[in-house]
Amino acid sequence: MNTLSVSDHRHLFPRGPGLGLKTLLLLVLCGGLMAADLRDERLGALRSWGAWALTPVHWVATLPDRGLQLLDHLQSRRELLAENALLRERQLVLESRLQKMESLEAENRRIRELLASAHDLQEEVLIAEILAANQDPYRHQIMLNKGAADGVYRGQALVDAHGVLGQVVRVHPDTATALLITDPDHGIPVEINRTGLQTFALGRGDGAALRLPFLPGNADVQVGDELVSSALGGRFPAGYPVGRVVELRQTPGGHFKEAIAFPAARLNQGRQALLVWNRQPGENGSPRPADGAVAPADPAPPTAAPAAAPPP
Amino acid sequence: MRRPPHGVFWASGLVALVLQLMALPDAVAAARPLWLPVVIAYWALTEPRVPALLGALLFGLCSDILFDNALGQHAAALVVVAYLVTRLRGIFVLFPLWQATFALAPVWALYAFLMFWMDGVTRHQADPWLRWLPVLATSLLWPLAFTVLDRLARRRRQED
Repeated sequence: MNTLSVSDHRHLFPRGPGLGLKTLLLLVLCGGLMAADLRDERLGALRSWGAWALTPVHWVATLPDRGLQLLDHLQSRRELLAENALLRERQLVLESRLQKMESLEAENRRIRELLASAHDLQEEVLIAEILAANQDPYRHQIMLNKGAADGVYRGQALVDAHGVLGQVVRVHPDTATALLITDPDHGIPVEINRTGLQTFALGRGDGAALRLPFLPGNADVQVGDELVSSALGGRFPAGYPVGRVVELRQTPGGHFKEAIAFPAARLNQGRQALLVWNRQPGENGSPRPADGAVAPADPAPPTAAPAAAPPP
Repeated sequence: MRRPPHGVFWASGLVALVLQLMALPDAVAAARPLWLPVVIAYWALTEPRVPALLGALLFGLCSDILFDNALGQHAAALVVVAYLVTRLRGIFVLFPLWQATFALAPVWALYAFLMFWMDGVTRHQADPWLRWLPVLATSLLWPLAFTVLDRLARRRRQED
């Protein structure tokens, strides 16, 4: 510990700026970068290049995780076979349900046309693999393996088989970063399915719950109410489940009450997610986008949750 | 005159970056030690010839990109750590290892506070209590990290 190497750090005539000045310069540089980064997107290119250059670091950091997975897979061949059988069964059931779904959808469309509403049930989607999750426990972000090259855009909605996962916040050439709905920075417009009340849900930052602040004191909200996404704001496609209210809080003397909800999507399970293209009515002429890489959204998107209970 | 151990310096920083990024079980994720400040502080403490300030800036920017913070947030906090440790080197090197472990705890606390404060300035809220767990974890890690890094640096010195 007490080895002060005095070989060459004492110059008789020190050259260059001193330690304090150097630190000050670097801190000013950092402050400028932060201000520029927060103000607008001018540093986006630098960030993209940095992210690209740091891909090996990401890769090395996920090695132990992947090694464990590989080991797991090698050991649990029998489990995989059982799971395969289960999934096959499940697919059969889902296919049969899909047939019913198509007729229901046709009926629904007819009724909607009667209502003169321009809402289409079939949205364009793309399956993305979740590459990594942000390891900072206060930021709920995931990295996806689809980027600008696949047409992913900033603000695009992300869903899984059970509900809304979040939205894309940064698009890189081949990858994209998405913010989950439980992140404290995230807000999503929601509709209470039972009453049609429009409000919004913020992430609580604990990874498990959403917060519906500023509900009027007399708003009709009950524990167990289902929240679905609302098209207000034009960012999320309407009608996807978001969560379920589990608790109501009324501050004594306060004007508003607050509801706590658990998200419907399985936020930390599975390795796939669906990117949804939210076409505004009129922007997309054909009701059914016919694209090779594109699958229909609503009939049970593939789920990577092997622990899911077999369907009834 | 021996060459300064630039290779070991940059390599140890890279390893710290990877460790910072590596997945931990959920139970201990909040107590992840601050690997980068530990490595930067070690070099600032024992080797005045390596560019600890520059390393702090570059590795800080890398972790800003990797963790998707405002660009410069980690970098500024790391530069402050490097500056403090370099400045107070004369005091720290006199302490035996266990005393240095305690003496450095305020530095980790300052780093954690800077991150917390800048998160607040950039309007990113988080649970303030769990923020202080890494300070404890880092203090516990310091003797181990110091010994390992010292071994590495000493072996390189003997090779020269």
